[in-house]
Amino acid sequence: METHWTLTLELKGDFRMSTATIRPYTTSKLFMYTSIVWLLIGMVVALLVAVKSVNPDFLAINRWWQEYFTYGRLRPIHTNTVLFGWLTPAFFAMWFYIVPVLTKAPLYSERLGVFTVWAWNVVYAIGMVMLFLGRQVPVEYSEMPLVIDIPIILITGLMVYNLARTIMNRKERILYVTLWYFLGTMVWLPMIYIVGNIPGAYLSGIGQASIAYTWVHNIIGMWFTPAGVGTIYFLMPKLSGKPIYSHKLSLIGFWTIGAFYIWNGPHHLVNGPIPLWLMKAGIIPSVLLIIPVWTVLANVIGTMKGAWHKISENIELKFMMTGTLFYFLACIQGPFQALMGPNAILHFTYWTVGHAHLPLFAGFSLVAFAGYYYALPRIIGRQIYSRSLMNWHYWFSVVGFLIFGFAMWLAGILQGFGWMDGNQVGAAFVKVLESLHMYLIARAIGGTFMFLGQIAFAWNIYKTATAGKQAEAEEPMPVLQ
Amino acid sequence: MANQSEKNIGALLGGAIAVFMIGIIGTCVLPFFDSSINTPTATAKLKNYLPNSAEARGRVVYIKEGCYWCHSQSVRPVKADSKLGPVSVPGDYYYDKIPLIMTQRTGPDLTWVGSRYSPEWQYEHLNNPQKFYNGSIMPKYNYLSEQDKKDLVAYLMSLKPAPAAKAGAAGR
Repeated sequence: METHWTLTLELKGDFRMSTATIRPYTTSKLFMYTSIVWLLIGMVVALLVAVKSVNPDFLAINRWWQEYFTYGRLRPIHTNTVLFGWLTPAFFAMWFYIVPVLTKAPLYSERLGVFTVWAWNVVYAIGMVMLFLGRQVPVEYSEMPLVIDIPIILITGLMVYNLARTIMNRKERILYVTLWYFLGTMVWLPMIYIVGNIPGAYLSGIGQASIAYTWVHNIIGMWFTPAGVGTIYFLMPKLSGKPIYSHKLSLIGFWTIGAFYIWNGPHHLVNGPIPLWLMKAGIIPSVLLIIPVWTVLANVIGTMKGAWHKISENIELKFMMTGTLFYFLACIQGPFQALMGPNAILHFTYWTVGHAHLPLFAGFSLVAFAGYYYALPRIIGRQIYSRSLMNWHYWFSVVGFLIFGFAMWLAGILQGFGWMDGNQVGAAFVKVLESLHMYLIARAIGGTFMFLGQIAFAWNIYKTATAGKQAEAEEPMPVLQ
Repeated sequence: MANQSEKNIGALLGGAIAVFMIGIIGTCVLPFFDSSINTPTATAKLKNYLPNSAEARGRVVYIKEGCYWCHSQSVRPVKADSKLGPVSVPGDYYYDKIPLIMTQRTGPDLTWVGSRYSPEWQYEHLNNPQKFYNGSIMPKYNYLSEQDKKDLVAYLMSLKPAPAAKAGAAGR
């Protein structure tokens, strides 16, 4: 049975002969390191936003602080930093680690890969400065202006080219299901970026709003979801030591994600100013998403049969399974919110904030953490510095998120019913908001826990890179008999 | 377990692009052909600001400071919106280069805010929201230039239903 540790050594030999000094998997490693820096920055901004929601005069020291740190500028900086500084590069790191492993071929060009890492980070840093300056486009998750969007699309294109050449050179003919999901994201990510950012800059009216919400939903649905699920399908057999339960089921999941998710945009405008047919076109596929979610769940339960006890000793597996569970919960919550009745109460409330963090933090970020803890030791040949810090990372993240999430969901329900009682404008509106004060404080506390978890994470990774013990041999790959 | 089709990248990529494009045509292209969307209402015409008018400049300030993160601009035919005025219809947004509907109501909906307060009130409220509502969590916008504040007030005052639309939507 081939182990990828020996594979890594072989590749190192190849590279020494051919090109220069860039070691295999450097692209993946650098994406991991840079993304962790953005994760910490994004969460500092998150805390500022949370505290400003409790005390609007927080940080209003003088005009300069008031202007550049106003809530309306910090909020998109938070979402963009965690989405395009942290989580997107986190799955780029998974692309650049998993694709060479599964194809048993070295990355086509590690040099190009490293270039794309730095190009991405520099472009995002400039985009962040522009957001501070108020250069925002009023479309959620697409706030960075066109001069940032275009380089981002080009850099993504270069990464896809690099990985596509790797896949064409593959030594393993059969495309394991993770490669299906990743190949899907390689066409969907550039395509949704183009659809969401380019035409919207020139169009107007509700048609444009429908494009905007197609983007909002599908940067999650056509990028984070298939990238995250693909990562789950890679990690699960490795961490549990069991082959995947059903290959067919995972492929059904792949095609139903692709076919249904892309329609979900209009469900953000349910009850809103759009024609009824468009609402239905958004709601029905939202409900049908139960199918791909069920395929993932059935496959996870099937694979884990007889291996559940491993969660207690394997922290990576614990991260991954918890992430999968939260992904599942997000996909139960999502279709529920898309129905006209619940939407009439919950839309526009704090509930949405809790829902947005459910798949992105508790779901796919936890899966990405598992991926980092799994891949980094194998890339740099060192063991994770501290298992105990991993546990602190886990518990702070999970408990912090639960406080955060339930604070937002409860606040959202109270807010929704408060509005239904007629408290929609003026003093009555503010009164409902005042009653939510303790939930906003709870959110800031939960968020602080989440942030502490990430400090443990960053410190652990830093120590692993600088002082981790040399790693032992690799376990076998049960998925590729 | 594996069969020929699972080695075929062409089929995979072709299928992935196809499912994507079908969804995009359904949700991003077809809406532009719907008459309720591509026919401007009287209200939409009120919001079709002249270039460099105070309202147009005010809208830019509204976006730059991120007001839309806390204020929606969409009145729905639901109980939670019953006191907000006439229900928004697709044609109301015809001229909005990016409609500012957004996803959050940390502050009240502003679809028809122009018919609720006076310009003087708006100006004072921007400077110090807590003066009017003690528990308000809206930031003070006293850091804006006088010009920006006046433009922003002009924009907010322009957010009102056209007289004809008001009568038409009253039967909700």
